[in-house]
Amino acid sequence: MRLIIRDDPRAVGDYIANYICKRINDYKPTQERPFVLGLPTGSSPIPTYKALIKLVKDGKITFKNVITFNMDEYVGLPKDHSESYHTFMFREFFSHIDIPPSQVNILNGNAEDLIGECNAYEAKIKAVGGIELFLGGIGSDGHIAFNEPGSSLASRTRIKTLAYDTILANARFFDNDISQVPRMALTVGVATVLDSREVVVVVTGQNKALALSKAIEEGVNHLWTLSALQLHPWALIVVDEDATAELHVKTVKYFRSIEMVQEEVERTQAELKARGVLEAGAAEQQVGSME
Amino acid sequence: MSANGLVCFTNCLLPQEDGGLILKDLWIDERRGVILDAQNTFFERKERPDRVVDLGGNILSPGLIDIQLNGAYGFDFSIYEGDDEAYKNGMKLVAEKIVETGVTSIVPTIITQDKKLYPKLLDLLRPFSTPTSASLLGWHAEGPFIDMAKRGAHAPPFLLSAPDGFASFEETYGVQNLVDSEDWLMNTDGQCGVRIITAAPEIKGVMGAVNELVKRGVVFSIGHSIASSQIATTAVVQGARLITHLFNAMPQLHHRDPSIIGLLGASPHLSVPVEDFPNPSSPTTAAMLSGVTSEAFDYVSTTPTKPGAMSRTASRSELHLDKGQIADMAFDRPYYDMIVDGIHSHPNSVRLAYSAFPDGCILITDAMKILDPNLRDGVHEWRDGKRFVKEGDKLYLEGTNTLAGSVVTLDKCVRNFSRFTGCSLGEAIKCATFNPAKCLGIENQKGTLRPGADADLVVLDRQGNPVSTWVKGRQVWSKD
Repeated sequence: MRLIIRDDPRAVGDYIANYICKRINDYKPTQERPFVLGLPTGSSPIPTYKALIKLVKDGKITFKNVITFNMDEYVGLPKDHSESYHTFMFREFFSHIDIPPSQVNILNGNAEDLIGECNAYEAKIKAVGGIELFLGGIGSDGHIAFNEPGSSLASRTRIKTLAYDTILANARFFDNDISQVPRMALTVGVATVLDSREVVVVVTGQNKALALSKAIEEGVNHLWTLSALQLHPWALIVVDEDATAELHVKTVKYFRSIEMVQEEVERTQAELKARGVLEAGAAEQQVGSME
Repeated sequence: MSANGLVCFTNCLLPQEDGGLILKDLWIDERRGVILDAQNTFFERKERPDRVVDLGGNILSPGLIDIQLNGAYGFDFSIYEGDDEAYKNGMKLVAEKIVETGVTSIVPTIITQDKKLYPKLLDLLRPFSTPTSASLLGWHAEGPFIDMAKRGAHAPPFLLSAPDGFASFEETYGVQNLVDSEDWLMNTDGQCGVRIITAAPEIKGVMGAVNELVKRGVVFSIGHSIASSQIATTAVVQGARLITHLFNAMPQLHHRDPSIIGLLGASPHLSVPVEDFPNPSSPTTAAMLSGVTSEAFDYVSTTPTKPGAMSRTASRSELHLDKGQIADMAFDRPYYDMIVDGIHSHPNSVRLAYSAFPDGCILITDAMKILDPNLRDGVHEWRDGKRFVKEGDKLYLEGTNTLAGSVVTLDKCVRNFSRFTGCSLGEAIKCATFNPAKCLGIENQKGTLRPGADADLVVLDRQGNPVSTWVKGRQVWSKD
């Protein structure tokens, strides 16, 4: 696991956007071999989306050959409701970039057969070759997507009841009326996330600090579902200073020191590649000192 | 042109129906000429615009709507010289040129005419547009049922009363021009064009006709009138929806009988007369309506209004505790339109009216045929052998100091209004787009950026100057 610490949420967004931009461009996606990207909603990823939009407008990256899968959507909320994740994704991201609408996938919380919808979603991910990079955020209880505390770490896309915590937190978007907050959601499972070849998680703000510490400094635990990331071979968590408040000084120092090592390894690999020393195919692989 | 017919305007401020301005994209379908629900187009139709227009931070407003325009570019809607073709060409000329002022919808207005001309003129003024022109939405007849005392530039011999109530209106305007039809409102196949009638409710027979006119979808507007507070209020209760060029051609605001202007402050304390308006042929009513004029009109003969002169039958018995709520209004206050050229109303008056009732405010030009942003000052021919004098935005009957309409453009009114009242440009734009559309009952189609509305748009810079005008999704004018 890699942990990158930046000063504030904006710097975190810039870092992740540049990272994703580089990953997509290195992948050289085509219509036949698209880059498959998993996407979250919520406040944490907004700076990342803003930075990505700028990269698109500046011509540094295109989403013409990117397929996206969103993590979750409320059940029973109309797609055009101001708080639906369809609305969020359109407003914060899709309307500003050049992705063809046919390449966007979001779970349909109004499907007649919700279980069928979830199964079809998993099948569709598989059909396009799996997710290359899953971007995620976490709740203050450490949930990733709507995999609330106690969710199976082997879970797949399914219907989830929202935790009371999450309902309370969401009430502010529904006139502070708890009865208006959807009680269920469709969400990708923890295993769906872990299946992707790379996971990038954004964690910002002091209110996420405890969850971050539980997820990376303690054992794998279904009460902090983000901790399952410890089992993933290629995970990156990008946090701001505030989110490190509950971490040990030692942890912070360690991750700071290996960020530089990672850069050195990557530089060396790039040089080898340029000189043709690497075997064919090796250049496609991820490199690093921290997996 | 866009390959899939969809256009995205980006990097622009969109005026909202509450007067706000927000940075947001707007998607339109240039083939159908309508505004799209962008999110729905993306997720359901699975399409996104092939063409993106970067507006460089400018304002993308619904096209402006002028509900009182007498003519422009040398053509006067009130003059018919026996040649239908020439008249229709004049309509076309105005419709095609007016877009340079950011206006995409107009209600052509004719002032008091020789009675025998009405059926012909109104028949010609059915809704009209070309693919590159503003839409003529139907007609606004200002007169002939107006008060001699406030006739302004209208010709005295042509003024009429309406002794037979609604039948007199039918007889004057032509039965076919007031046809009762459920769906004429947005009908553009030219069936019927009546939109607005400005009349004085104190004129004999007019009050009794208000209700029937309103039922037929006509906006009854109080104007060129000396109605007392009570008569003006009764007219609103009967369905009058608008006040024509507020402050002009009506009694000044008198605190004891605020007359028509006082409707902007209509008090919940004074309830409306509860009885149905009686038959206009009833002698007592006729006497009341013809004899009663506002005391403010004739200050010398004024006697203080006695308490109880207004009926208070339904006024509130209990006071309430909800801050910000005005309770128990028995009727909606009417819209009011103003010529914001800095001449017809002092900036203080403009701000006073707007502060009293912001949601009712509509900007009009009331412009005359010589409206043309490039016309020189001087003496110009008008009609009936009269001439008028143009001095900047001022327009007088030659040899008098009677204002004869205006020569201001609506985009300038918007800028003036923002300056005079101190309101934001977005709030000023609302008074020339959403408010007039709502007054006419067409706010789903014009004066709005709602999905499904006509893509009639004007791009304004941040100082409110038109940059380009779009009709039904196509650019029809550009500054450059």
